[in-house]
Amino acid sequence: MEHNHKSTCKEVMNHICDTLGEDLNSPTCTSIKNHLDSCDSCQKYYKSISQTIQVYKKYEWKVSPEAHNKLLDILGLDDCDDL
Amino acid sequence: MNENEIIAKAQAGDRVALSQLVKLYEQTVYNFAYKICRDKEKAEHTMQETFLSMVKSIKQFSGKSKLSTWLYTVVSNHCLMMARSNKKHAYTSLDDEDALIDVKNITDWDITPDKIAENSELGDILDEAIKKLSPEYRVVFMLRDIQGFSTEETGKAIGLSVPAVKSRLHRARAFLRNELNKTFSYGT
Repeated sequence: MEHNHKSTCKEVMNHICDTLGEDLNSPTCTSIKNHLDSCDSCQKYYKSISQTIQVYKKYEWKVSPEAHNKLLDILGLDDCDDL
Repeated sequence: MNENEIIAKAQAGDRVALSQLVKLYEQTVYNFAYKICRDKEKAEHTMQETFLSMVKSIKQFSGKSKLSTWLYTVVSNHCLMMARSNKKHAYTSLDDEDALIDVKNITDWDITPDKIAENSELGDILDEAIKKLSPEYRVVFMLRDIQGFSTEETGKAIGLSVPAVKSRLHRARAFLRNELNKTFSYGT
């Protein structure tokens, strides 16, 4: 029984990975939602995958002023920078 | 003036409009390039090549897709091309799919929305995790999850089948989640 339960969770977790961000109301996702509602382990997994994406969305690298100036120079648009 | 009007002016040869497009997208393009290339110089080089491409091709831009979609596609392929020409770096293998999801090791994360918003400590942790992921996986994760491309759009952008996109996305998400899990999990 235990083995079967784990296999089911694993399948659900794989499917979460495929469908996260897509329409979870689609017919194929209904059973996933039902499982998620009742499985603590899968809920935690779903939440942590969502948090991973959320964290990375907020992480941002800024263009330096030097890189900005060099870019406009290379493009021949440096005279348009302040217009 | 909206973006379509700026594009139309740029297509008609208006250099100021062209520079407006560059300024509108340079931060987005650089951030995206850095997240895939993981290197300041390579990200700057990719940004330059991407906008050189845009300047050359702006007259042919049909507007069927968004300009941002076109730019992300150029960045993705440029970064992948650079990565393929430099194979010195060894990345973590994600071939063992079973090892990526360990059902016994699923725990709650000790992370609040405040912590996510602060982002400084998390940034460093993520930085280390992302570095271990090969560019082929990074780019799929970036296009699909961060930029919001559909699975089909992601495949089209970098020349992958839909099943291949799904497989890489699934493995990349699971790998990154596992890396962050080492820091955030509790109650095991």
